Amino acid sequence: MGRCGNMQILNKIRSRIKSYTFGDKIQEILMILPMFIGFLLFVVYPIFWVLRWAWFNYNGYSNPVFIGFDNFVRAFTRDKTYWFTLLNTFILAGAKLVTEMPIAIVLAVLVNKKMKGISFFRVVYFLPSVLSIAVVGLIFSILFSPYNGIVNALLVNFGLASKNINWFGERWLAMFVILLVSLWTTFGLNMIYFLMGLQNIPKELYECAQLDGANAFRQYFHITLPMLAPVMQVVFMLSMLGTMKITDLILVMTNGQPGGSTEVVMTYIFKYFFQYGDATVTPSQFGYASSLAVITGIVLSIITLIYLRVSKKMKEIY
Amino acid sequence: MAVKVLNKTVIYVFLSIVALIAIFPVLYIVLASFKTNQEIMTGGVNLLPTEWQFHNYIRAWELANFQRYTWNSLYMSFFIVVGSIITATIAGYVFSRGTTKVTKFIYGMVMSSLFISIGTLALYPQLTLARTLGLSGSLWGVIIIRVFGMNVTQVFIATGNVNQIPKQIDEAAKIDGCGFFKIFCHIIFPLLKPLIATIGLISFRMAWNDYLLPFVFTISKSDRMPLVVGVVNLKSSGQAASSWDLALAGISISLIPMLLVYLLLNKFFIAGMAEGAIKG
Repeated sequence: MGRCGNMQILNKIRSRIKSYTFGDKIQEILMILPMFIGFLLFVVYPIFWVLRWAWFNYNGYSNPVFIGFDNFVRAFTRDKTYWFTLLNTFILAGAKLVTEMPIAIVLAVLVNKKMKGISFFRVVYFLPSVLSIAVVGLIFSILFSPYNGIVNALLVNFGLASKNINWFGERWLAMFVILLVSLWTTFGLNMIYFLMGLQNIPKELYECAQLDGANAFRQYFHITLPMLAPVMQVVFMLSMLGTMKITDLILVMTNGQPGGSTEVVMTYIFKYFFQYGDATVTPSQFGYASSLAVITGIVLSIITLIYLRVSKKMKEIY
Repeated sequence: MAVKVLNKTVIYVFLSIVALIAIFPVLYIVLASFKTNQEIMTGGVNLLPTEWQFHNYIRAWELANFQRYTWNSLYMSFFIVVGSIITATIAGYVFSRGTTKVTKFIYGMVMSSLFISIGTLALYPQLTLARTLGLSGSLWGVIIIRVFGMNVTQVFIATGNVNQIPKQIDEAAKIDGCGFFKIFCHIIFPLLKPLIATIGLISFRMAWNDYLLPFVFTISKSDRMPLVVGVVNLKSSGQAASSWDLALAGISISLIPMLLVYLLLNKFFIAGMAEGAIKG
């Protein structure tokens, strides 16, 4: 025994650590299998479902008929409303991006200051982000209600409006309210993202800048903003995609009213699948809805890819 | 010095105005839920009710089905939270420690699904599938989709967290003769307490707030609706117009549990949700 025996034990241990037995592999696969099946059923299957039925005239009860490109031809040539809703979606996403990002960055810089009670503000700003979007839509439709809403009451009371404003009676006013509410729900979350980015900036940079005599303003533009660029790249994309997929808020707040002018692409297609409220389109056109879903999915992917390509530089800015 | 104090005051005033905007809508609704229907209908700038109507809540609870909705929300959220904790930690463990090609392939698929998502347009196929599996018309379909549908954000957070546990710990357990599954049960899972809290919170937020998925699963079955669906239904069915007091009480009932959880656990909440997006 002695030395030799010890070596044997050591080798045994070593091989045991390295060994990844067949049994382990089986266990590994069995453990992930339920989730993989769930993923195939609830994530992958719906994608193939719309890819398939996009080529059919299918309404759920009569026999589906294969119609080739007809659904796509209809979408591209006859369905002006679809492109209108897509435009609305882009307008909303763009408007939200240019308003929300500056607000979130400024607030992040402010709540990053070492001042008394500053964490209270962080907690309060984040609060809207934990509420249900659908309920938020409901709350704001009450606040902005034309006759007994508090917003009108306040505006009239302070002399900012001469009479009650019918917020949901006109396209741009309604879009404005949607934008405001959508801002309200996410500005806190985006602020937190930027705050995390700010806290990752090394303090030495500011000290050096101070020694070089740069004032707060220049520090902000030459250190803070460039150092935040990688975070911005991610947050911009999340915000953009998030707004383009906006559904609940619009359905609950305006449901596309007045006259379908605030309809966005997701709510529009949703109504080809399901009956919702006073529908402007006939529901249960599953084939056509699928083709619109395919087109929209492709548009969203293209935008994501273009964005990633264009914004590549933001990641390498420093 | 004077400039600095002034600066600070300006910042505080600005931050307070934003804070007011953030809180006001919720505060207004909760306060208005104690007003009489008459008072809500008339509107005006008064925040506080002239007389506190606590029985709005009793009536909403008993007459407007809110007891049922609350119960539905509670059990749906409970099963989604418990289920998501189990599936997300397992997925995180397998994706972090797994070595087989199958696992790598699945991981690649899950990650690439981020780029081809059709959002709420997947709802109808999901519903038809649930119908063939006998799961439609109840919240069990929602629970199963949420628990087993591999939420990319949660999987991402979980994988990142397991990656931070040193591999030597697994190896020590291996020497003691533990297999892949046992290492998870006895070693890794107990070490994942912060992750469990994070997954629990973000899945609770999702489950409690969810609207469209439970909506399509409980269309026209009002006694199976969760709170959010029930509350919105009150508005779209036109019932709200005649009984604003009940509608507002209902909205408050749907908000209060979430607000309480948030106020108690806001640090974990903020960290968890931020982590999800940055890593995702």
